[in-house]
Amino acid sequence: MTTSVPTGGAAAQAGPAADPSSGETPGPVAVSVTGLTRRYRGHLALDDVTIDFGGPSITGLLGRNGAGKTTLLRLVAAQELPSQGQVLVFGASPVENDAVLRRMVFVREDQTFPDFKVRHALKAASWFYPNWSDAAAAALVEEFELPTGRAVKKLSRGMRSALSIVIGLAARAEVTLFDEPYAGLDAVARQLFYDRLLTEYAEHPRTIVLSTHLVDEVAGLLERVVMIDGGRVVLDAPADDLRGAFTAVSGPAAAVETLVEGRRVWGRRRVAARESVVVGPLDGVDRLRARDLHLRLETLSLQQVMVHASSRSDGGPVESPERTNA
Amino acid sequence: MTSWSTIVRVARYHLIQRPIYLSLPWALTIFSLAINLVIASQTPASNTGGLLTMYSWMFVGGLLSTTRSFPFGLTLGISRRSYYLGTTALAIILAAGNGAVLSALHALEGLTDGWGVGLHFFRVPYILDGPWYLTWLTSFVGIGLLFVYGMWFGIVYRRWNLTGLVAFLAGQMTLALAVILAVTWTDAWAATGRFFTDLSAAGLTGVLAVLTAALFAGGFTTIRRATV
Repeated sequence: MTTSVPTGGAAAQAGPAADPSSGETPGPVAVSVTGLTRRYRGHLALDDVTIDFGGPSITGLLGRNGAGKTTLLRLVAAQELPSQGQVLVFGASPVENDAVLRRMVFVREDQTFPDFKVRHALKAASWFYPNWSDAAAAALVEEFELPTGRAVKKLSRGMRSALSIVIGLAARAEVTLFDEPYAGLDAVARQLFYDRLLTEYAEHPRTIVLSTHLVDEVAGLLERVVMIDGGRVVLDAPADDLRGAFTAVSGPAAAVETLVEGRRVWGRRRVAARESVVVGPLDGVDRLRARDLHLRLETLSLQQVMVHASSRSDGGPVESPERTNA
Repeated sequence: MTSWSTIVRVARYHLIQRPIYLSLPWALTIFSLAINLVIASQTPASNTGGLLTMYSWMFVGGLLSTTRSFPFGLTLGISRRSYYLGTTALAIILAAGNGAVLSALHALEGLTDGWGVGLHFFRVPYILDGPWYLTWLTSFVGIGLLFVYGMWFGIVYRRWNLTGLVAFLAGQMTLALAVILAVTWTDAWAATGRFFTDLSAAGLTGVLAVLTAALFAGGFTTIRRATV
């Protein structure tokens, strides 16, 4: 696996970080992706991605626009076909496999709907998902104030997102994929989505993958974080391990170098003689030394971690563990 | 594997849009009939091409079934194969049903001597001019053919966009041209004419059925790798 995050101090680094995707459920993991590559006319959208999503869990698929999040989800849902590599869902290829496909739901951010009214779309979804809950759909429709009699194409951007969310949650599919489902939703509606996602998940656990770039907003929901950049997985770790796992050390370049010497550096920014460097967790001794050196320490939020993991200019160090493990 | 219940559900999925598949084609056909009745009441008895309304709309229906409705179909966890078979089931239902209504109207037109004004709207010489069951069979095959043809166009558009559609059309025109040239160079026009005359409506229906099967197979191979 590509888990490559320093966990809780130097001493703890001896043991590997817990991998949430292995060995928790008997039988084949829900989603298993191996060496997945997708090329579009000279553009590499996904580059040799190997990753598992197993057991009931909520995984955040983070990355910038164009990083490859949607491509990965489309490939898992068999809406797109791989150039190379393999996707297994419940141990079988999802491509042209009705038995597998009906256990998985993926509503795209830019979903095209037929000439349907809202209630038609919900009705159709109820026919095809074996675990569909009419009650859950009705409750969600009411909470999102979706006009069921309105044509889908006349819905606002936010309402169309809400419709996708209702379908994604009410389907109660064992594998539930959300692709930036909040587009056009205001803060209140987004919070409603997060609340309902958690409630649904608690009552009917399933494998949920949520692609997003509103990182800090969903940080509290996530059990695991997968970051994609330039078509590659650059980070894959339990969300708890990421919180407070990275610290930005800034100050005079020479002093910074003294402190971080011998450590893995995750990001580096230099302006004149001042430098800011991202490193793994610092223990008490490190912090005292930092104070002596007059360095500023700042614990990074998940969003800032993503910014560092995705900064391609100096992204080398972040990607290297991925390369050596892959 | 695709179960029968999935096929039925896909057909139902399409029929949510009843206006496209049921109301509109009939509204247009009846409108066309009304116009032709007015014209026929003012002029001597005539044949019209009005029935083409129904057939061309069936082509449009096939086209819409694989363009606008396809992405959401895949989102609902339907495989391409199931989607295609279910949509073909819709084509069969529409062809059988519309064919039956057309046959009834065909018979009624005969009984009323062209709606009292000598109009040949549902009766078309040579093709739709026989007993009711042959009229039904020819309508069935004709509607099915155009729907399946439209489906293939739609899938080509979904898979290769406008460029693909243009290439698809160009390919068909090239094929048609090749056939025409071949017939011309072999001085076979007279023989070709005789072939179709001897073929009769029943034989022609058989030829169309074979063509439909070929279009069905073409659409199927195209949709298998279509992405949304």
